[in-house]
This record gives sequence, structure tokens and C-alpha cells, in this order.
Amino acid sequence: MSSSFIQPDPSMIGRISKAPFALTPDPGKLFKERVARLEILAKDAHLGPYLTFLAGIARIQGELASSLSALEPVPVDQVERARENAMPPIDRAAIVQSQDCRRTLLRFLEAVGALEMPPTASQALAQLREADEETMDWMIDNVLADDLPVESLAHHLFVAAAIQVHAARLAATLDANGLVPVRVGVCPACGGKPVASIVVGVQGVEGARYGCCSCCSTMWNEVRIKCLACGSTKGVGYRAVETGTDEATVKAEVCDSCHSWVKILYQNKNPSLEAVADDVASLGLDLLMKDTEYKRAGFNPFLVGY
Amino acid sequence: MTLDLSRRSFLKLAGAGVAATSLGAMGFGEAEAAVAAHVRPFKLTMTTETRNTCPYCSVACGVIIYSEGDLRKGETADIVHIEGDVDHPTNRGTLCPKGAALKNFVKSPTRLQYPMLRKPGSGTFERISWEDALDRIARLMKDDRDANLVTANAAGVPVNRWTTVGMLAASATTNETAWATFKFAKGLGIVGFDNQARV
Repeated sequence: MSSSFIQPDPSMIGRISKAPFALTPDPGKLFKERVARLEILAKDAHLGPYLTFLAGIARIQGELASSLSALEPVPVDQVERARENAMPPIDRAAIVQSQDCRRTLLRFLEAVGALEMPPTASQALAQLREADEETMDWMIDNVLADDLPVESLAHHLFVAAAIQVHAARLAATLDANGLVPVRVGVCPACGGKPVASIVVGVQGVEGARYGCCSCCSTMWNEVRIKCLACGSTKGVGYRAVETGTDEATVKAEVCDSCHSWVKILYQNKNPSLEAVADDVASLGLDLLMKDTEYKRAGFNPFLVGY
Repeated sequence: MTLDLSRRSFLKLAGAGVAATSLGAMGFGEAEAAVAAHVRPFKLTMTTETRNTCPYCSVACGVIIYSEGDLRKGETADIVHIEGDVDHPTNRGTLCPKGAALKNFVKSPTRLQYPMLRKPGSGTFERISWEDALDRIARLMKDDRDANLVTANAAGVPVNRWTTVGMLAASATTNETAWATFKFAKGLGIVGFDNQARV
């Protein structure tokens, strides 16, 4: 009997599949890809030092994600209850209390000491390592509220990086098919804000847009040409740093209804784009957008203040 | 939906001395300043993405039209690309070859943009106003209907049959438009009538 490795694949004929609503993260892969992208972007002369530092952070995040023992999945009844009420199944208040999260944070703070960083950053890290329980709770609370106090951004940056590891591992235990839309611009897994949105180029869903959670890294489908801050489809436009003849692949999606903007990355035009890495690397866009009437609504603990 | 009026907005106004950004707080202020200096001479370009419906056939596929410039900001806009709308339930981002060539349809030099008249015996079209076009169409329709309307069939039953004129209506319309078009044609008695659902 002769056999062939080439088999007919009827699913490729129609190929008009519905874009899946949510994609939960694979933490090991996620951080590894982020490191790779940051290292390439770090060759940029201007922002290089910061991107190299963030690559170091992402490397530690990745190592933690793959070395920590498996997390207890989010309880089934909690997922079901959330689903019935269109709420995110990950309970952020519970993360503050979680011993697993605290362990992850301590391991992260330990490992991050080996990174090369400016004196102000290492000073913040030293203070953080000596912080009492109450201060730690307060900081974790701030990070989970997506609201980092301006006076202590450096401290919170480290805490947020550690929480990203814990939240991504927690989100990875969820069944993506069980997630339901919560609200426009809100992560269906943890209720977080998007860093940016990505127009993907994955075969079968080319051109679909996904919000990228700043906390748990879950990606969720959002209709294109819609403001992720207020949900309006009226008065949405795009701004980009002029690039001459090339079409920009990182743009600001601006909204005239609520006067805010969120970055949109066209991965279908440039497959190397990565939400967190390219959000930071496109700081120039943020700087130019600062002089406009629009206010940044994307949230990224590594790029606060624009 | 609530807007994020966080305290950092106020600090930005207060300005002086506070490292109100992640980069500043972490000691990467120099890198931040370098980016700022680098990007200063650049401008922001405005582009728009607009949802629309393919005009070709009754499937009515969703499309996204990309243009440079923003009409809402008083700029002129120029269509640079048209592609299928992934969010549209009918076509989910796909387009047929005609739909995929929509940009050329929009930009075609032979595209009909206003009423054109080719007089009997003439070899060329000339542009006329909408006013003149509609008047002329109405006049010709009235004359033809007055001359050729069939008001009774062979058995003497009263009918409303206007067989000397045919009408072909468009496909990319709503149900309501199609309904009104049908009423218009049948009211006049036009027999040869199609709401073209395919091209």
C-alpha cells in the first residue's frame, strides 16, 4: 500500500474561520519572545540602554515562569460564576493575598539584583527588598489596580514585572474557549487594561484585532476601528510618526469621543512586533502624542507617564 | 466608561523636578531625552480606516478603506488601500477578485461620477446636470408610457402594463430601498424589472 505525506486538508479550502475570542498566554514562550524582540530593538542608539534592561527583566520573568512549580488552576466554579455574570474569572483581590504570588515576587526581586541598572533603579530595588509586609501589600494592590503612584514608579515597576509572571501563569490555567467578553477594552481573563492592540497576521484570522492585557498577557478579540478606552466607533482616526514612503506599523488609534488614544500594532504588516517591547520602543510616538489633545489610555508599567 | 484621569496628569501640569515617567524614575532619563531630541523634527501623519460595504453584489461584503489624511480634521483624504473586514460576519475578511480590486474601481479614470448623456446619433457622452438628467428621464418616460401603456388584456380585464421600458435596479441596497424601488417600478406598470442581486 502506498502512502503519501501530502494529505488533502478540506479545512484549507473554505478557510473562513471565525477569529477565536481569546488567546491565553504560554508564559514560557511569551517572555522568551519578548526577550528576543527587546534585544533586537535594543540596537537602537537612543533607547538602547532601557530596552537592554527590559530584556534582562523579561529574561528573569521567563526563567521564573518555566522554573516555578505549577499553579493551582482557577477553581471551576469561580470560572463558571464569572462566565455567567460576564466577569473576569481571575480575582485580582485574591492575588494580593496569594502566597504563590508573594513567592514569585520574592524570587523575582532576588534574581533581578544581578541585572545591570542605573543607581536610582538599584536604590529602589534595595528599598523594595527591605519593605515591610504592609508596604508590599500596598504596592501589589496598586499594581493590580493598574494605578502606579508617580512618586514611586521605580519600585512599582519591579513589583509589576513580578505580578506579570504570576498573572500570566494564572491565565495560562484558564480555558480560552470559556472566556466571555467583559467590556470593551477590558481583559476577559483578569479585567486588566490593554498595553496596546495588535492586528494579527495569523493564517485564518489575518486582519483581526486583539487587545493585549498589560497584566496577564491574555489577548482578546476586539472589533477594528473602535476606541478601546470608551468603545465608541465614531471619530476614530490614526496617527503615526511620519516615516517617508514606508507605511507605519505602529500607530496611535485616537478617539474624538473620549479624547484618548491606544497604540495599535500591525503585526500583519510586520510579524516581529511584540506588544510590550514595541510599545516601549515606539516611545517617540508617545512623545509626539503628548502635544496633541489626546491622552494615552494604553497601560504599560514599563512606560508610565505619557 | 470611565476615563482614566489619574494623578499623573496633574503632575505633568505641576511639572518641575518630578521624574513622572518610568524611564526617568529608573534612571534612564538620558535615553528618554535622546528619543525626545531625535523625534522632535518629525510630524504626526493622519490616516483613517473606514468601514463600508462592497458595492458589487447582494452579498454585501464588509470592507475597510484605508486613507491618508483625515477629512474630519479638515484634510483631504486619499484612498490608499481597501481590504476585507475581518469583523464582518458575511465575508470575515475575504473578498472575491472583483472586491479585492475595489481600489482600482474607485480610482478608475472611466468611473461614472455624474450623469452623462449620449444623444441619439451621437458617438460621445457629454456631462449634464442632475436637474437636466432627471427632467429628461421623466419626460421620456412619460411620453413612452402615454404612447404604449397597455390598460386592458385580451379578455378586457383592466391591467397596468408598460412593456416598452425595462428597469434594472442596483444590488447594494437595503431591503427597504429594494421595497421602494419595486413599488416605484410596479406602480408605473414596468414589467421588465429586476433588482439586480448579482453582477
